Amino acid sequence: MNDPSTILESQDVAAPTSGTIIDIDDLSFSYDLGKTNTLRNISLDIPAGKVTAFIGPSGCGKSTLIRCLNRMNDLVDTAKVTSGKISIMGQDIHAPDVDAIELRKHVGMVFQKYNPFPKSIYENVAYGLRVQGIKKKSILDQAVEESLQKSALWSEVKDRLNTSALGLSGGQQQRLCIARTIAVKPQIVLMDEPCSALDPIATARIEELIAELQQDFTIVIVTHNMQQATRVSDRTAFFYLGELVEYDDTQAIFGNPSKKQTEDYVSGRFG
Amino acid sequence: MAKHFQKKGRRILGWDLQDWIKGFFGTNATLSIVILLLICFYLIREAVMFFPSHHQGLTLYRQTGQEFVGHLIEEVDEHAKIVAMTDQAYYRELDEKFGNERGVSDSYEALLEPLEDAGEDFIDALDDEEEGAQEAWDTFATKTLSKVYKKEIDTFNRLDDDSWNALLASMKGWDPLEGDPPAFVEEARAKMKEGMASFELARAEVSAADDQLDSLRGKLVKIASVVREDAKAELTSAARKIALEQGIASTTDPDKKAELEEKLSEVKIMDSFPFAARSTPMAESKDAHKAAAADLKAKLTAGVAKLPAEFASQPAAELIERVRKKTPDVLEELDESVAEAARWRWDKPVGYFDSALQFFFGRDWVTNSSWHDFYGLLPLFTGSVLISCIALAIAVPFSVGAAIYVNRIATRLEQNIIKPVIEMVQAIPSVVLGIFGILVLGEGLREFSQVEALSWIPGFPMQERLNILNAGLLLALMAVPTIFTLCEDALNNVPRSFSEASLALGASRIQTVIKVILPTAISGIFAAILLGLGRVIGETMVVLLVAGNKIAMPDWGAGVGVVAQPTHTMTGIIAQEMGEVADGTLHWRALFLVGLVLFTISLCINVAAQRIIRRLSHL
Ligand SMILES: Nc1ncnc2c1ncn2[C@@H]1O[C@H](COP(=O)(O)OP(=O)(O)OP(=O)(O)O)[C@@H](O)[C@H]1O
Ligand SMILES: [Mg+2]
Repeated sequence: MNDPSTILESQDVAAPTSGTIIDIDDLSFSYDLGKTNTLRNISLDIPAGKVTAFIGPSGCGKSTLIRCLNRMNDLVDTAKVTSGKISIMGQDIHAPDVDAIELRKHVGMVFQKYNPFPKSIYENVAYGLRVQGIKKKSILDQAVEESLQKSALWSEVKDRLNTSALGLSGGQQQRLCIARTIAVKPQIVLMDEPCSALDPIATARIEELIAELQQDFTIVIVTHNMQQATRVSDRTAFFYLGELVEYDDTQAIFGNPSKKQTEDYVSGRFG
Repeated sequence: MAKHFQKKGRRILGWDLQDWIKGFFGTNATLSIVILLLICFYLIREAVMFFPSHHQGLTLYRQTGQEFVGHLIEEVDEHAKIVAMTDQAYYRELDEKFGNERGVSDSYEALLEPLEDAGEDFIDALDDEEEGAQEAWDTFATKTLSKVYKKEIDTFNRLDDDSWNALLASMKGWDPLEGDPPAFVEEARAKMKEGMASFELARAEVSAADDQLDSLRGKLVKIASVVREDAKAELTSAARKIALEQGIASTTDPDKKAELEEKLSEVKIMDSFPFAARSTPMAESKDAHKAAAADLKAKLTAGVAKLPAEFASQPAAELIERVRKKTPDVLEELDESVAEAARWRWDKPVGYFDSALQFFFGRDWVTNSSWHDFYGLLPLFTGSVLISCIALAIAVPFSVGAAIYVNRIATRLEQNIIKPVIEMVQAIPSVVLGIFGILVLGEGLREFSQVEALSWIPGFPMQERLNILNAGLLLALMAVPTIFTLCEDALNNVPRSFSEASLALGASRIQTVIKVILPTAISGIFAAILLGLGRVIGETMVVLLVAGNKIAMPDWGAGVGVVAQPTHTMTGIIAQEMGEVADGTLHWRALFLVGLVLFTISLCINVAAQRIIRRLSHL
């Protein structure tokens, strides 16, 4: 096939460094083929190169929305977008000629519970590249080192790359998952409560990491932790019962929310 | 002091409900363990007692000189295998080259039957030179010949329509009194004979190579059989004497007493049976044996060398190729056998270890024989293993594939259909499967294997309807639910988060299955396969019905085609013979020993599978 490196290059689909990268337009989404809408009429522009936080009480649909962005909801047989559309880098991601697998190479995801494969650290990071057919050791080596360095894990694991990833601490495992995600050089990294299974110190490290990754990626993060949202994000969207209540700069949401509901939530009065 | 925290509730016989429940389940568990131990004990006791009796039997076999003759029997049998292959090749070639002529010749013979049987009266009339007999016969013959069906006469469909009509035409004017075949048939026969002359000659030479050895064998078998009978009678007469004496002591009836006493006087007990003297004919035949073997060697080599090199029929060419390859092996074995026979001495003690080895590695299982009973596990073991391997080779890809599909790819609806259907297979009683195997699969496979275009497949066309492949296929069907269900469990145990992570990294479903799910579930899958193997190796009914029950080592020379041969299995032999043997006989114990071997194998498989599963759950 092609020279493997060109596949890497091809990842760099003209990623905007400013402006809107994800455009959600009047999106309604249902888990039961449209009987009930879990998400209702959500419109939201996510800026490139920034960190956008989704907050809201449990069950309001944050995870559902974030999983719409890389079409992970396709795995649910009865899931259906009932209205509206999502455009990423100008492309409607539900268009018939869009391949979810291709999409996911550009929109990576980090999960709530760290879930490295029961393989070596090296193989975990190299996985995304391997499934793209890259076999050349030098390219893989380089990508693995680079990703681990970016996710601030390199110094801790460089001597044990071939040991099982399951032997790492929880925080390390989550950073490994981030490394694994960024190894395929996506433009967007989705994070669904990436710190909820971690202790405060590990959480702090991930937050630092997010601040650094922001330079290279557009990040969308779901969080329950208000402080975390204020610390890491530029923009914040507040959801309630499947609807977008308010979306603004983080400072505005937390300092001067325009909706009563938002104010109640961010000040801890409910949720 | 005040009492607190006592158990509440009514007590029966000092136990409350909890205690009773505990006691009930505890008893059940204990009982199962006790029963298992009892079974083990009984099985092992009966099985182990096989060895001393077996040793005795082998000792007698040696002392009577049968062991020596056994070598000759085996040598003649080996030669017969070569002859059988040569014959098969001969007829293949004959069919290929002179199929039509053979059809004419055989159909002619077949036509005689309706003519001579139904026309008996007419022939008698002709014989008596009655008036009008000729006309009557002619009408009868014409009528009969117009009524016969080609399908019934030419059963192998060797004839084309022209030859068939020509044959019928040539039968006109056939004289039942003379009985000579018509010229048309004679011609066909002559053509056949001429065309096959050189092959026929070589074939006859190959076949006759063992004449000398065979006649020596026949002579010695007779002698040794008598020795064996006498020795056995001698061995039992002591016991007989005791029984008669007891009988005399306990009867009061004088007539009966006299009768018994007369019988007692006939019982002769020699102090020891004169094995040395009685086995001399065998000992003295060693040189004759050598000479006969050398004769066989020379004639067989010459005969095989004369076999044709060019064939019209591909299967014939292959068969003769095999004959050529096998002959040196047979001759080498012959040399070894002769050398071993020369070492035979009636009074050489049989080693205990040797007699045990003869069970585990013996190639013959012959029972109820008037010659000697052999208990060799190897053909049964091989049969079981072969069938199991085939069953697994078929079942594993199917069930693992189905499990992956159902677990990772299928929609809800498909899952809801496929899973119950596969599990339903388990509900088919194995007898029913066996019937299906005999009537449908066996017949179908054989028909299918006759298709000309498929004859390149090893083992095709199949001779036997009941064979290893058939049994393997059915057992595969039986193993699929087991492996499928356990495999699905193993796949289910792979956390969803693994496949989500993989998919989120841009892997396709297939890549996810191959690179993440299978490696994670591999030990579970392996355990599933092992348990499937356990099920297959212990299965009885299907193999008993379908495997063909021929106790013989498979002919490995057929390569992959070995699967078309019939076989017998460890489970099958027990089921088949256990009902017919008398308690406590050597045969009975041999069956117990086979059972013990089977039990050990199953146990090992299960323990291995359990270990894998346990290690998995610690992960
Ligand atoms: N796979 C699914 N199938 C059907 N319904 C689902 C599925 N996943 C989530 N839901 C439902 O959709 C709604 C939104 O769930 P979602 O997980 O998006 O909430 P969330 O905001 O992420 O909550 P949390 O903060 O607790 O993670 C819930 O009512 C949930 O029960
Ligand atoms: Mg969630």
